[in-house]
Amino acid sequence: MIITCPFCGPRDSSEFVYREEGGRTRPDPSSTDQAAWNAYIYERVNTAGDHEETWQHSGGCRSHLRVLRNTVTHKILDVTLARETGKVEKPA
Amino acid sequence: MSPRRATSGGLIDRSRSIRFSFDGQEFTGHPGDTLASALLANGVTLLGRSFKCHRPRGLLAAGVDEPNALVTILRGEAREPNIQGTMLEIYDGLKVVSQNRFPSLGLDVGAINQLGGKVLGAGFYYKTFMGPVIGPLKGTRFWMFSEHFIRRAAGLGKAGTAADPSRYERMNAFCDLLVVGSGPAGLMAAKAAGEIGKRIILAEQDARFGGSANWSDETIDGQPASDWAAATVRELARMPNVRVLPRTSVWGYYDGNTIAALERVTDHKPSPRRGEPRQRHWTIRAGTVVLATGAFERPLVFPGNDRPGVMLANAAERYAAEYGVMPGEKIAVLTNNDGAYRSALALREAGCQVVAIIDVRAEISETARAIAVRTGAEILTGRAVTATEGGKKLHCIKVQAFDAATGQISGDPRSIDVDCLLMSGGWSPVINLASQAGAKAEWNERLQAFLPPKDTDGWVGAGGFNGTFSLDAALSEGFAAGGGTDTGLLPATSSDDLDIAPAPVFEIAAKGKAFVDFQHDVTSDDVRLAHREGFQSVEHLKRYTTLGMATDQGKTSNVPGLAIMANALGKQIPEVGTTRFRPPFAPVTIGALAAERYGEIRPERLTPMHDWHVENGATLYSAGLWHRPMIFGLPGETVEQAYVREARTTREAAGIADVSTLGKIAVQGPDAADFLDRIYTNMFSTLPVGKARYGLMLREDGLVLDDGTTWRLAEHDFLMTTTTANAGKVMQHLEYLLDVIWPELKVTLTSVTDQWAGASIAGPKSRDILAACVTGTKVDNETLPFMGIVHGEIDRAPVMICRLSFSGELAYEVYSGAGHGTHVWQALTAAGKPFGLVPYGLEALGTMRIEKGHVTGAEIDGRVTARDLHLDWMLSKKKPFVGSMMMDREGLVAPDRLQLVGILSRDNIPLNGGAHIVEELDRDNPHGSIGHLTAACYSPTLGQYIGLALVKAGKSRHGQRAFISDPLRKRFGPVEIVSHHFYDPEGKRMHG
Amino acid sequence: MVDQLSPLAPVLRPGRYARDDHSVGVTLAEVQPGSIVQLAAWPGQQAGILAAIREVMGLFVPGGAGSGVATETKSAFGFAPGKFLVADQEEGLFGYFANAVGPDAGTVTDLSHGRTVIRIAGPKAEWVLAKFFAVDFSKPALAVGSGISTVHHDIFALIQRTGVDQFDVYVFRSFARSFWNALCHASEEVGYEVE
Repeated sequence: MIITCPFCGPRDSSEFVYREEGGRTRPDPSSTDQAAWNAYIYERVNTAGDHEETWQHSGGCRSHLRVLRNTVTHKILDVTLARETGKVEKPA
Repeated sequence: MSPRRATSGGLIDRSRSIRFSFDGQEFTGHPGDTLASALLANGVTLLGRSFKCHRPRGLLAAGVDEPNALVTILRGEAREPNIQGTMLEIYDGLKVVSQNRFPSLGLDVGAINQLGGKVLGAGFYYKTFMGPVIGPLKGTRFWMFSEHFIRRAAGLGKAGTAADPSRYERMNAFCDLLVVGSGPAGLMAAKAAGEIGKRIILAEQDARFGGSANWSDETIDGQPASDWAAATVRELARMPNVRVLPRTSVWGYYDGNTIAALERVTDHKPSPRRGEPRQRHWTIRAGTVVLATGAFERPLVFPGNDRPGVMLANAAERYAAEYGVMPGEKIAVLTNNDGAYRSALALREAGCQVVAIIDVRAEISETARAIAVRTGAEILTGRAVTATEGGKKLHCIKVQAFDAATGQISGDPRSIDVDCLLMSGGWSPVINLASQAGAKAEWNERLQAFLPPKDTDGWVGAGGFNGTFSLDAALSEGFAAGGGTDTGLLPATSSDDLDIAPAPVFEIAAKGKAFVDFQHDVTSDDVRLAHREGFQSVEHLKRYTTLGMATDQGKTSNVPGLAIMANALGKQIPEVGTTRFRPPFAPVTIGALAAERYGEIRPERLTPMHDWHVENGATLYSAGLWHRPMIFGLPGETVEQAYVREARTTREAAGIADVSTLGKIAVQGPDAADFLDRIYTNMFSTLPVGKARYGLMLREDGLVLDDGTTWRLAEHDFLMTTTTANAGKVMQHLEYLLDVIWPELKVTLTSVTDQWAGASIAGPKSRDILAACVTGTKVDNETLPFMGIVHGEIDRAPVMICRLSFSGELAYEVYSGAGHGTHVWQALTAAGKPFGLVPYGLEALGTMRIEKGHVTGAEIDGRVTARDLHLDWMLSKKKPFVGSMMMDREGLVAPDRLQLVGILSRDNIPLNGGAHIVEELDRDNPHGSIGHLTAACYSPTLGQYIGLALVKAGKSRHGQRAFISDPLRKRFGPVEIVSHHFYDPEGKRMHG
Repeated sequence: MVDQLSPLAPVLRPGRYARDDHSVGVTLAEVQPGSIVQLAAWPGQQAGILAAIREVMGLFVPGGAGSGVATETKSAFGFAPGKFLVADQEEGLFGYFANAVGPDAGTVTDLSHGRTVIRIAGPKAEWVLAKFFAVDFSKPALAVGSGISTVHHDIFALIQRTGVDQFDVYVFRSFARSFWNALCHASEEVGYEVE
């Protein structure tokens, strides 16, 4: 599999590690909502189809990537740098 | 000249001879021969014994589809089994032996299995060995008894036990276009693409480029097809944008057009040149793949179709035209299509006598008939072969009338004496790679074959792969696949107009064993038996009967097997479907996959002082990739004597250890302190510059991740240390948080593990030793208090010294630039000599930390909480941190959790890590574990064997008796559960 | 000042290790820069870092992903978003950059001891590197001066193309000997010379 890192260009999947299902929101650090924390840490959507994932280019620039990948066809539809997607939660 | 070698013709070099041996007998062949062609030229027709039934087998095919002629190559001490004789080029000194026979190929006692008939039918092993135990002869116990004998009798070649001395390499490559297969279609694709400047790799599995051009009698561009192919390859090889790879099997097609291929670089040479690998494993990332992989001819299924002398028509044609070998003297042909007529003619032209062409069809085309006339053969249409005769060699076939529509056989059999029977059951495009890539094959009624679906954005097909069998059309498809547009550039050809579309006849059902899968001895009756036993799915059929498995992967058996299954089910072939092909397309050597990952060039990590350790008697120990000193033993010392001496001397005087392997991460930036507060359980923003603090990190789920000290070198500059084993994991954890969760924090993380050499100097004399060699700073208690940091020099090299202790003694970690590590280490050991300083290794380090009750990775095993390790005092209540919301969950604060305790051996016998702790000892039926030992040693301080353990409600058990239960190592005995602080619990020594 | 001890010292043996036909395809050498420094810019601050490189080293780095420049004695290239590696035969680069890059612009990290630089040059350099790294080393894909981050098993490597047929490979010091040995082994096929 080839993942096109926005910085490094197309690279072999052996240079990357899968980290997390993407598009999830970490509760505010001071939040005491146990259910929200449980959901963040343990619950996954695990979509069959287009799926947002967080990968790290661990064998390259080490950036975290937001990868939109179809888990059925393995086709990668989009890759952006995680810190530039603006989808992450900003703590209060 | 060999008995079966034609006097002329073929692409072999008759001017030179090559000597090789087969089963101890010497033979000769010529450059350009395979083992198969050379043996056939010598009249050898018996090449192996079949997998289950030990039936004598000869050559069925001439290429990568050969299921029978598997041999073992002997190279010095090394032996390599299961090599196809059809793919093995001969070289001077080649030594080969046949397989699966005992005591010899001619006389094989295993052949008695043939008499068993139904005994070894489909599912034999499942039925006999996996059923319920009824009497003494069924079930898994019987399997365990019989396995040894069965494994010896069945199976393919025997693997060797000697190490393989060959060299293997891996290679990465990138190209715009990868062309797989170098027949006319593939060559045309490469030529078209090469001329427009694309980056191309052309891979051909055989030694010779050209594919069908090497045996067809057609012409391209006014010259024999093989000459055109050779000239085209020479032209391609000269282009700077083209790489041509002969002897390269493309075996795997993975996501993103990542292609795996195996190049047999020197398998055809008596010995490789210096540095040349035996095989090279290519990983190719291709923009587009041109699949020009051609087609395999299919056998017909009829009784005795496996007798040596019965072979595929095209294989015989190849032996005659490409190798100048006559596979027989008197030849008959059995076919369901016109293609075999061309084969018959090729054999006639090589000098064989073609006795009869038996066609299952009642009518044949005029073209076919015209060719048949030229062969001089008797034409027998509407007939079929219903039996073959001969022992290890065919001598006679029986022919009867056959109705292709109904499969009915009638009339009396007529005997025809032949020593070779060619069969052709139609052609199956080699769609294996496309199937691996996810393409679903589509049944083509006219060609009676599975064809690939339309081209995708990853691959383009050309030629036989597409079911395109005419030369003109194949060239034109290849040209288009290579991006060629001006069709005026296509070469002119001469070719007969044979249509190879076959009649839908796969089997001639008569009495006797008719083989579908030659490699696995699967007969048509086995397929029908599987159906009667309820197997409906083709995937189940494959697994139950073993049809199409192992090295062969169904290259010849796939479609005939499906056709027979469909017939049994009363369905059409497309309704039954086909199995998805999996990698590898052709066998791959494990050595080529391992390549440089194995042996002496496997990566390893060395500390800056590594050479000093080796020169000074260290016994090294690999910890992950690191090589670390275990002990610095004196002559005659045991490991235990060495570490006990090292630990004792350190506690009494001083010791020095290499701690360079600790993970070190530079945490820099204006938000560094804030970041550390978020990821550590305790506060770091309050840490003054020039001080260090012990920190504990949790995972998001509240369990302990790692511990270590972090030093504040400047306002915005921290040096974090992690345990050696967790360095990478911690780095990834922190990078994730910074990149994904808190991208607004201005913090840079850099691995500086390798920037610093670390020497830990411990013991009551350590301060005196530093005072004797450090310049530029004082090291007294006031200047350098516990957890203080100073900068100075040792023998002109800059150092950074932090006073911290893992051993429980007064101790310091001296950091210097890695390139100065040995220099500083030597200065420290010289300064320490008058004080009795000794170097110590991991064993002594471990001993002292066990005595002190400090935890490491053995205790931080991913299941423990801070409280389990009695580190509650480190959990700040003033701030949230990673894991703070999850660490107080019910299960994580339960009173009966495993908690850290100390263990004393009460029988004065050593303890072992991993041993269970029980309340009641039961040697015969060990049970009731209340925990396990995580570390153990002999404590020189306490004078007894001690350990650390995680024990249920351990804190409440201090002072209790329990037992060690370690059935694997047969160690049972009494122990006492105590506090994990064995030594100086108040910490007076390290604070002194 | 004390000289750095190279991790390659016991294994780097200058000489010609040619093929059977006496040819060599690559030359291997250790480049021993006096300084190796990592510069990291905060988002939006990359221009300041590039200006500092120009000011301290006199090198003009264009700033696109992986872009860089190399002279006989100095080099600089980007290897990750906002991150650059700079090296100089002279010592003391860290001090200069520590002064030139303020906390608002980014961070400066001294790696002078932590990375070992191995130079591979010659007509077969791309071929030998391709045995280790799943990266396209062809000139269109990697221009002279440009750098990349990649990995061979656990060995992280930053690679800068410092000439048409020349590459400088930065590896973690602890892996340097292992990588050197593997590189020599892989170079035997084409023949090599150690400088």
